[in-house]
Amino acid sequence: MSDYKMKDIEWAKINEDVLASLESPRKAFWIVLAVCFALVLCGAAAEIYQYNTGLGVALMNNPHYWQTYISNFVFWIGMSHSGTLLSAILLLTHADWRKPIYRFAEAMTFFSIATAAIFPIIHIGRVWDMYWVLPYPNQHAIWPNFRSPLLWDAFAITTYATSSALFLYIGMIPDLAICRDKAKGWRKKLYTAMSLGWMGRATEWVAFQKTYVLMACFLVPLAVSVHSIVASDFAMSMMPGWHVTSFPPYFVAGALYSGCAAIITLFVLLRYLFKFEAYMTPEIMDKTARLTFAIAMAWNFLNLSEYASIWYSHDMFEHEMLIDKFTGPYAGVVWTMLFCATIVPFAMAWKKVRVNMWAMFVISLLIQLGMWLERFQIVSPPLASNHEPWTQVAVWPGLVQMTITAASFGWFTMLFLIFCKVFPSVSMYEVKEMVYHRNKHGKQKLQDLDKIKDDMIKTEEGLS
Amino acid sequence: MRRIRKKHFLFATYDDFEKAKEVVGELNALDDKEDIIDNIELYSPIEHPEVNEMLGEFHQPIQRFSFFGGITGTILGFIFAAGVGQAMFTVQPQGGKSVITIPPDIVIAYEMTILLGVLSTIAGFLIYAGLPRRVKSYYDHEVGVDQIGVEVETHPDNNEKVRTTLEGCGAVEVRELTQ
Repeated sequence: MSDYKMKDIEWAKINEDVLASLESPRKAFWIVLAVCFALVLCGAAAEIYQYNTGLGVALMNNPHYWQTYISNFVFWIGMSHSGTLLSAILLLTHADWRKPIYRFAEAMTFFSIATAAIFPIIHIGRVWDMYWVLPYPNQHAIWPNFRSPLLWDAFAITTYATSSALFLYIGMIPDLAICRDKAKGWRKKLYTAMSLGWMGRATEWVAFQKTYVLMACFLVPLAVSVHSIVASDFAMSMMPGWHVTSFPPYFVAGALYSGCAAIITLFVLLRYLFKFEAYMTPEIMDKTARLTFAIAMAWNFLNLSEYASIWYSHDMFEHEMLIDKFTGPYAGVVWTMLFCATIVPFAMAWKKVRVNMWAMFVISLLIQLGMWLERFQIVSPPLASNHEPWTQVAVWPGLVQMTITAASFGWFTMLFLIFCKVFPSVSMYEVKEMVYHRNKHGKQKLQDLDKIKDDMIKTEEGLS
Repeated sequence: MRRIRKKHFLFATYDDFEKAKEVVGELNALDDKEDIIDNIELYSPIEHPEVNEMLGEFHQPIQRFSFFGGITGTILGFIFAAGVGQAMFTVQPQGGKSVITIPPDIVIAYEMTILLGVLSTIAGFLIYAGLPRRVKSYYDHEVGVDQIGVEVETHPDNNEKVRTTLEGCGAVEVRELTQ
């Protein structure tokens, strides 16, 4: 097993290693990229077929309009949460272990939003009318209804996508300057334009640090609001199973949980593909796993409170809905979700598991499966247990929906890997800061210990 | 025709922040005594607050940009949502509901507050960091790796004194530049 803690790495070596990741990843990188691209092609074919034939081929029928596509939308929005939110929170709390992993986590946020944004377009069927949600001039006498959570979604997600992309970009500027200094050809032109002439002057650093903290302050409440608004899409309806007051915090906790699991998956993947063993250490994995475990417990608590509040509410429709979830046609989904998202995380209680990369990889995949099923069991069972008896039919996603779902994972991973191949996925300047401060504090501690030792010797001499 | 005075610089690189800290202290002392330094600029691969403090106070009120951007966003968000409410009044039946609905408008205003707050913070950053700009011709790439650069603007007559100070603190290299 590699070293638990990050070693004292020389600054020049940090630049060398990270810049090498842009040039020569392992061969497995190209295999993963090819698989992802193939999935995207399959998804594109399925979408073209659905576009030409109609939404019926996705097996969506009244009232099952919102099924896998909207489950995917919620899943990907949720996934986008952890990157920026955790990066911002850990920045504000001065947690230095975030430094080697925050860049890819922020990139994960952006590409998750890019993936999520596709689903409303696919789901509405009439792709050409997508612009109706935008506040364009009133030529069709149809103004968007700003009282609807769906329109709040449009605002929240646009704001979140813009802000998290800028947060990612601003944080990358010093590293882009390093890339500019070493690159050649098209890369040189790209990095020169994007680094804005950064030279590491003191004035630039002071402005940069201030801006980064201020942006983090904006992003924490923004991230919480985005998933609360996504929860409002459901909670503000009158559907049994959706009309739940605790949905916003439950959604936010679920988003953080699935996002943390995704960070672990990508952590292991990047560590292997780009040879980042010296930076993405078991120590950082241990801390990420602890955080994930804590969030898992919060999510489980909110999940149980939801069940309890429905159970004791004496609302017969909600009551029936809850029983139907555990015993009805979707029971398999609910029980699998509970196994993956409630039981599996307890494996992280053991340190041996937390520092084992491949064990954590499997656990993170199982948690993500559980969280995807969680979104599915939020959306589908209530539609099959509606007030009207004629709607009470279980509907399962068809081949088209599942192909597009699989393609979304390919699309996300493909964009993410391309990003990591073009831009530094480990923050060079932040890792340097981490190494510098750890060394400085280490030396300080040694000096303090020496001083204590000297004082003790003097005291002993004085006594004798 | 007025002649523009060319600027004269000495650019020294150091392999340690302690040395950079020492040289900035000595340059400050030299300037206090003889008033021969026009400006000192530090270039580094990471931020070092202690050395930055020695360079003097950086007046960069970026938070004001954030504050006023946020306030503007709140106001614009409400005006926008209320404006849409007014526009819809004659087009869509309201069913007895208010024309301007405060609770849902708060959500729009909240998102706009954050959006404009973030955008104006970045505007503040670009203004105070002096970006975007062209990279100086004498910029040393090693500053992005592991060296700390100290740039001193001075009159050519004071070259020797400044050079001695820079070299005395263990400079890896000292270069003279005129722009």
